[in-house]
Amino acid sequence: MSRLTAKDGLAERLWQAVVDGDEHTAARVVHGALDDGVDEETLLLEVIAPVQEKVGVEWAADRITVAQEHAATAINERVVASLAHRRRQSGEHGAPHRGRVTVSCVDGEWHAFPARLVAEVLALCGWRVDYLGAQTPTPHLVAHLHHTNPDAVLLSGSLPTHLPTAHAAITACQAVGVPVLAGGRAFGPDGRHARALGADRWAADARGAAAVLEEGMTRPDPSASRQPVDDLPHLVDQEYTMVVQTRSLLVKQTLADLETRFPAMRAYSDAQRERTAEDLAHIVDFLAAALYVDDTDLFTAFLTWTADILEARQVPAHSLTAGLDALAGQLRDFPRTVELIREGTAVLAEHSVRPVPGPSTHA
Amino acid sequence: MTTLPPPEFTLDFVREPGTLTVRVRGDLDYDTSDDALDAVLEQLSAGRAPRDVRLDFGELTWIDSTGLSTLLMIHRRTSTLGATLHLDNRPAVLERMLLMTNVLDHLTAPAADERAGAELEEDGVSGAGAT
Amino acid sequence: MLVVDRHGGLVRVNQAARTLLPGAESGDRLRDTVPAWLHEAHRSISDGSRSTSAGPLSGRINDRLLEAHPTPSDDGDVVWWLLDETDRRLAETALTDARTRTEILSEVSSALLSTLNVPRCMEVAASMAAEHFAEAAVLVAPPHGKRYPLTYACHGGPVRQVTRKIEAAEVPGLTEALRGFPPVPARWINPDDIPGWLIPDGFTGPVGSVIVTPLPGHGVPAGALVLLRSSTEQAFTEGEEVFARLFAARAGAALSAARLYTEQATITGTLMRELLPPTLNRVHGVEYAGGYRAAKDHERIGGDFYDVHPGSDPTQESLVVLGDVAGKGLDAAVLTGKIRNTLHALLPLAEDHQRVLNLLNGALISSHSTRFATLVLASVRRRGGRVQVRLTSAGHLPPLIVRADGTVEEVATGGNLVGVLPAVTTNTVRTVLEPGETCLLYTDGITEARGGPLGDELFGEHRLRRALAECAGMPAEAVVERVQMLTAQWLGAGRHDDMALVAVSAPKTGLLTVVNGHASRQNGRRDM
Repeated sequence: MSRLTAKDGLAERLWQAVVDGDEHTAARVVHGALDDGVDEETLLLEVIAPVQEKVGVEWAADRITVAQEHAATAINERVVASLAHRRRQSGEHGAPHRGRVTVSCVDGEWHAFPARLVAEVLALCGWRVDYLGAQTPTPHLVAHLHHTNPDAVLLSGSLPTHLPTAHAAITACQAVGVPVLAGGRAFGPDGRHARALGADRWAADARGAAAVLEEGMTRPDPSASRQPVDDLPHLVDQEYTMVVQTRSLLVKQTLADLETRFPAMRAYSDAQRERTAEDLAHIVDFLAAALYVDDTDLFTAFLTWTADILEARQVPAHSLTAGLDALAGQLRDFPRTVELIREGTAVLAEHSVRPVPGPSTHA
Repeated sequence: MTTLPPPEFTLDFVREPGTLTVRVRGDLDYDTSDDALDAVLEQLSAGRAPRDVRLDFGELTWIDSTGLSTLLMIHRRTSTLGATLHLDNRPAVLERMLLMTNVLDHLTAPAADERAGAELEEDGVSGAGAT
Repeated sequence: MLVVDRHGGLVRVNQAARTLLPGAESGDRLRDTVPAWLHEAHRSISDGSRSTSAGPLSGRINDRLLEAHPTPSDDGDVVWWLLDETDRRLAETALTDARTRTEILSEVSSALLSTLNVPRCMEVAASMAAEHFAEAAVLVAPPHGKRYPLTYACHGGPVRQVTRKIEAAEVPGLTEALRGFPPVPARWINPDDIPGWLIPDGFTGPVGSVIVTPLPGHGVPAGALVLLRSSTEQAFTEGEEVFARLFAARAGAALSAARLYTEQATITGTLMRELLPPTLNRVHGVEYAGGYRAAKDHERIGGDFYDVHPGSDPTQESLVVLGDVAGKGLDAAVLTGKIRNTLHALLPLAEDHQRVLNLLNGALISSHSTRFATLVLASVRRRGGRVQVRLTSAGHLPPLIVRADGTVEEVATGGNLVGVLPAVTTNTVRTVLEPGETCLLYTDGITEARGGPLGDELFGEHRLRRALAECAGMPAEAVVERVQMLTAQWLGAGRHDDMALVAVSAPKTGLLTVVNGHASRQNGRRDM
């Protein structure tokens, strides 16, 4: 049996266990593989990580419920924790012999799993890792840096809507003389947002992060008086600020416009109305993020992803287009915003004519 | 495109023979409670102690646990003075909190004669009005 | 002024020129009188290879710096006007030096003030000193006992930090500098007097000059800085010494700020550790998970609290406590500490919730405050696959139970708040959790989270119930995470109160031993 199929088999068995909410079996699969000589990094990155990835994909395609998604994630987290526990008990990897690094999620970021994997992989490589977890307020992060003086901060973000907060965190870390290695989906597939926000380095994945640290990171020059706005000169148009400040009003007004256009909406239940309002709020949040980093792809990628999610749940995606249209009506004084919405609408039109990928119907 | 600022917190006092009425307006919470307590205690210790103290919550917009703690402190003082506290025009948010914490009866119990409610009164905030 | 003929003979020498060139007289040859740069300039003007309009030349005559302006006269002679530039140049150099030093000091300040970490601050100070003033710098920090933190930096080299036992008295002036009082000036010492440990690795050549300068702190000595130059280099000038003192003042201020911050942070950390919510694990076959978010994000503690006190063995009940003290921040947190300790002491009486609550009430009543607490007690014990729970609320939000089919029930327990009334009355409710069912205790920070897509709505109990209905069958940890995530999204960047929740779940499947409690997450913060 080749190594590859062994791993695939493991991933398949782990997937079954986590989606069934069966922590016992999940732990047995992973620890059994470790006993059989599969190395831990491989388990983390080539078995557990793809399974966690699949959790997200299957949820998006409406093939598992929210409850299953959360339960599966919780089990994966515990499995990772149990591996770390076993490693520390066995003392196999000995004391950390490299430098000290901090792994943290961007303030407001709940998806801690990727950061957790990076933390474990770096610990395996011999780094002394302080893992601060999800939802770390930037003041805590900075206090931690003053306290521990690490060689680098690894800042993880999954949702692009946290990019403005990430920017504040990056600047704050650098101001205390600690270089920042950014990672995670939020920073774009090629790390473009990490560069735009002035992060010292970017890595695509855990192994990439380990390689960057191995090379060594230079401390930022603390005497350089860089202001966050220097990174993003387009912010002077104030469009980002306007959109963020009027978020609730935009959502309210858009909701009202949609009800005028689609009288059927007036019969919505409170819960349905709230869902619609939440969808609109998401659109505004991503619009704001796209304005912040001045990147159209960020916005259009979100729209097509949302369209797929809606279609998987039998909600016609044209409601998205209508929402965009109503928003554009309210924001017509803001050229950059209007252009983003125009491009978004165009991409959605193109997207809806091609067959929806993914979800085959199954129970 | 503007949002209305939250209503300013204010207290209005109306003194009638035997009765002090306090009209509470706005949010009685962590941010406003200290000032509210000082203002009410000042009124209570000025002049002749009333027999009834009526807190009118008709325009109360919000109350949190610190606000309730303030009501309990006001009650402690009115009991010491032998005055009965009344909580009038209670909005839902206050009603709910009183129900949950089960202190309505305690707060509005008729004051017994002369200092009877003063089981806890050897306090540092002494020197209240004449009795 | 000199007038020189085309053959290089001096025609006239005025009084000023005679002072500059003692002994020069008309009739002398220029080449015998002035330095080469000037007579060669004259020759090239005479043979026409240089124009007189090409601008002035400059050069030295003896120790003066002169600018020479040639002016042709009609008879072919050249009049040389010599202007003494010495003082202007000196002034200019001094100005440039001052400007450079100001720039350096500003750079030094920014770099030093960027960190509040003491070792990092020492590293920055030593490396900047080695970069700007000396070939090497050694920063000696005040000792821990007899061991001194030493930071060595060589010009252009790496910084090395060690802590070692040294005899400070071996270095003249070091003891005084380290004591910080009485104030001592920077002091030159004889290079032959310094011990070997003071010379950094990588320092080449014999030591030529050494200065020991104190780092003045804010009332606390911040250490001393030793600057070294090798014998092949120029010794320190007076100006450099003054500059070094300015640098030392900046470094001392930054270091003592970092030291004070570290001390404060350590004290806060120690005090706070007692007040932080605990890590919850599986206990006696029941899953527990807790979540906490303080009202002020820069603080980590507040007025909400929870604890799980495990039963002495699986047949005994474990006691879960969750509550909320009126108010926020440190004041409230201190009272939570008192409540948690009191309840801990009352554990032997946990059989009778009302009695425990009355004893707690008595302990909290204070004559000068009506700060109260509301709380829920839950006594939990596993029997077979099911979990028996006794719940008592003292003025707190009633617990919610998520049944296996997604029904959400409110537990009908109620009672007085504690800490103000002479006595409290409560009622206790018993219930049973089937496998996969969860009981959620929570504080009003959750339901009163303000935000949502429309901006100013309360999250409310109905949304919490709706969210919980989707949590049927989820492990306790996932329920807590789900609720925390939804409320965080609801809040966005909005202000909020303290938020706490504890989920108690009957596990869905059989007993687990492989993944034990030790490995579970600890409030999202852990060293590896």
